[in-house]
Amino acid sequence: MSVRVFITGVGIISPLGRGRLATTAALQRGDRGINPLHLFPTSHTEPLPVGEISDLSAEEPLPRTHRLALLVAQEAMAGADEPPDAIVLGVATGGMPTTETLLKQNIFDPPRYRYHTAGSVAACIAREVGCKGPVLTVSTACSSGSVALAIALELLKCGKARSVLAGGADALCRLTYYGFHALQLVDAAGARPLDRKRNGMTVGEGAAMLLLTASETPPRGALGELLGAGLSCDAYHPAAPHPEGLGALQAMQKALAGAGIQPSEIGYIHLHGTGTVDNDLAEARALNTLFGPQMPPLSSTKGATGHALGAAGAMGAAIAACSIGAGLIPANSGCDDPDPELKLQPVMKPLRKKIQRVLVNAFGFGGNNASLVIGDPELYNKGFNLRETRPFLINGMACLTGAGDAEATMTRLFAGAPVKGMLNFEALATHLPQRAVRRLKRLPRLVLTLAAAACAGRDDIGPPQAVFFGTGWGPLSEAYDFLMKLFESGEQFTSPTDFIGSVHNAAAGQAALQFQATGPNITLSGGDYSFEQALMTASLLNHEPEKPFLLIAADEHHPVLTPLFEPAAARDGLPTDGGAAFLVSPATGQGMSLDSLFFAHAHKHPQVIPSMIGQLGGEARIKNRYAAIFVGIPAATEQSGRRQLREFLFVTGFKGPVVDYRRWTGEFASASAVAAFLAAQCIHRDEIPEQMRGQGMVSLHDRGILLLGLGEFVTAVEVMP
Amino acid sequence: MEELIQELKVKIIETLSLLDTSPEDIGTEAPLVGPETGLDSIDVLELVMMIEKDYGVKIDNKELGMKVFASVKALAGYIHEKRTETIH
Repeated sequence: MSVRVFITGVGIISPLGRGRLATTAALQRGDRGINPLHLFPTSHTEPLPVGEISDLSAEEPLPRTHRLALLVAQEAMAGADEPPDAIVLGVATGGMPTTETLLKQNIFDPPRYRYHTAGSVAACIAREVGCKGPVLTVSTACSSGSVALAIALELLKCGKARSVLAGGADALCRLTYYGFHALQLVDAAGARPLDRKRNGMTVGEGAAMLLLTASETPPRGALGELLGAGLSCDAYHPAAPHPEGLGALQAMQKALAGAGIQPSEIGYIHLHGTGTVDNDLAEARALNTLFGPQMPPLSSTKGATGHALGAAGAMGAAIAACSIGAGLIPANSGCDDPDPELKLQPVMKPLRKKIQRVLVNAFGFGGNNASLVIGDPELYNKGFNLRETRPFLINGMACLTGAGDAEATMTRLFAGAPVKGMLNFEALATHLPQRAVRRLKRLPRLVLTLAAAACAGRDDIGPPQAVFFGTGWGPLSEAYDFLMKLFESGEQFTSPTDFIGSVHNAAAGQAALQFQATGPNITLSGGDYSFEQALMTASLLNHEPEKPFLLIAADEHHPVLTPLFEPAAARDGLPTDGGAAFLVSPATGQGMSLDSLFFAHAHKHPQVIPSMIGQLGGEARIKNRYAAIFVGIPAATEQSGRRQLREFLFVTGFKGPVVDYRRWTGEFASASAVAAFLAAQCIHRDEIPEQMRGQGMVSLHDRGILLLGLGEFVTAVEVMP
Repeated sequence: MEELIQELKVKIIETLSLLDTSPEDIGTEAPLVGPETGLDSIDVLELVMMIEKDYGVKIDNKELGMKVFASVKALAGYIHEKRTETIH
């Protein structure tokens, strides 16, 4: 069966205006929305130019990012009769606009920080639009929005959803305003993409979401068709692009291949085009390699909107749909004198032209690249063959807990004691030269330690090609240190290193650098369900057989921020963090396997447990297939989680051991990754520690272990022998 | 000047967490950035912040930056020159 993916709704907000029609009109006029920052006071005598949305009122406690996201979600859903089956949102800074303001004012009141996490933006939309399916949050810095759309496409291609609301959102905040300035990447004259005198970017804000609908033929009023997506990682540098644009080239090639078209079939290229010297040069080199003398018309709109970071790629996709609908090629605003070194001729003034297919580029820190191809919905396209997802073979695994590494963790658990706590900083990343890790704080060190341990001894299957990383809270140390240095110096000084390290995907980018993993590099951040999000996302992508990749989830405890962000978890007593990593490959041979089976938003979803049981094949199958259930109930949703568990056990009549694993791992967002590791170890040893399982059962009798995540979301993952 | 050079070496080690390096390991006239030292453009930006904060000297042009960071000696020379300018 084949399926086509149509854009049936578009929502966009940027400094150019609110809504698809206003944006199209502004692009037709060639408006520029860049002005000196007004949103918050700065230490700069003359505030730097930014792309600020001026008519957005303050509505505490909802951060600006969330409000932008809600606005575009409503617009994209305006013509839809039903809620989307899934949501995928790209976000770089999440609730940072509110968090940094509170920290600056020395307010330490946990409820006011409840919208901090990147994942809370998508959760907010899910409640608003009534989505009961998977809700995923991608945080790969400036490519987030495009990566989110690429994942949404895979959800539809795998038949996991018939409609997905996907895009990106990011709001202006001090972190990015001062951060990019510290990197000397901000053009004081406003971004001039591709210009000979270009001297940096303009930090902006905005949001865009597309409602993607699977259908065999174009639905009425379709605004475009998502034809293909390509993801890659430079594995070259934490912040700078590969000088020849190799990763960018790969992403564009994959997107065209996914769409089944030739470069000559592209009618317009919406560039990443930030206006920094290096980005524009790398992107130009990649374009010249791919298109040669047959270069299609191209432009960057970041001289008009500024660079809205995690929203940028989704805004590009929304603009592509506007371009196709209106027969318009937007101007490359800000550029007066194209740089001859780039060998590109950008469209200088808005151009009326019928366009059939648009290539949309977005590249981010960590060498994270994403390209999309969007087409006219009325063009013939044969569509995608529906693809089944498959379990992964576990080739290697590792964990870090308060007890230490994998071995220390298992020893302590079999001795009947919990593994809560935090490993000493000095014990992390000891396998790497000090010089190589000198800039890395707690989270990236946890990740590199886990990655190395998971790959140890598996040279036979080759290094990992891709990285899927889940983190509930991201790099807290880097974000906190950046803000403290900023505030303590009266907003005079910051650390550029901490800024680069503060993006959620920094640790996954480090892992890619370590292993030269140039395939997709995706960081997901969905609170207590981040590991499940990473696993689900990995399962959606069409991996090359025999090519292993890394699946990692980790979180760090931060003495100041964790109690503010996770007050319920902090009440557990012992500060705890850690994570787990798996070296996996598409299952072809024998061996232990890992599979993502269910992911649903439980809010106002009374049927969530029966629906999961159905998805797992019914009561009888559950009882036969699983020797034990490991269940994770985050402290913040204790009540609803316990209720869900009672319902599950009542309906299935499951009589085997049920392990409440957070009592053993401690409370932290990626505890479920450690639980998956424990499940695999128990299967491997054919034994579950007695104190964890209770009396009775000894052997697992070749059955698997079911991992349930309960609370705000309900998830099911299985580990099979 | 010699004093400033020694002070800078200590500050460079501190700012960039070069825990495996002692001031004597940093050659006064040797290239500060590049494959030999393992320092790169992010380290340079980190040093730019430190120099502005501790010496009140701004370095904000990329090309100028690379020249200034050619060696510890060049850096000391630049800071010395700029501070003298401000005093007079």
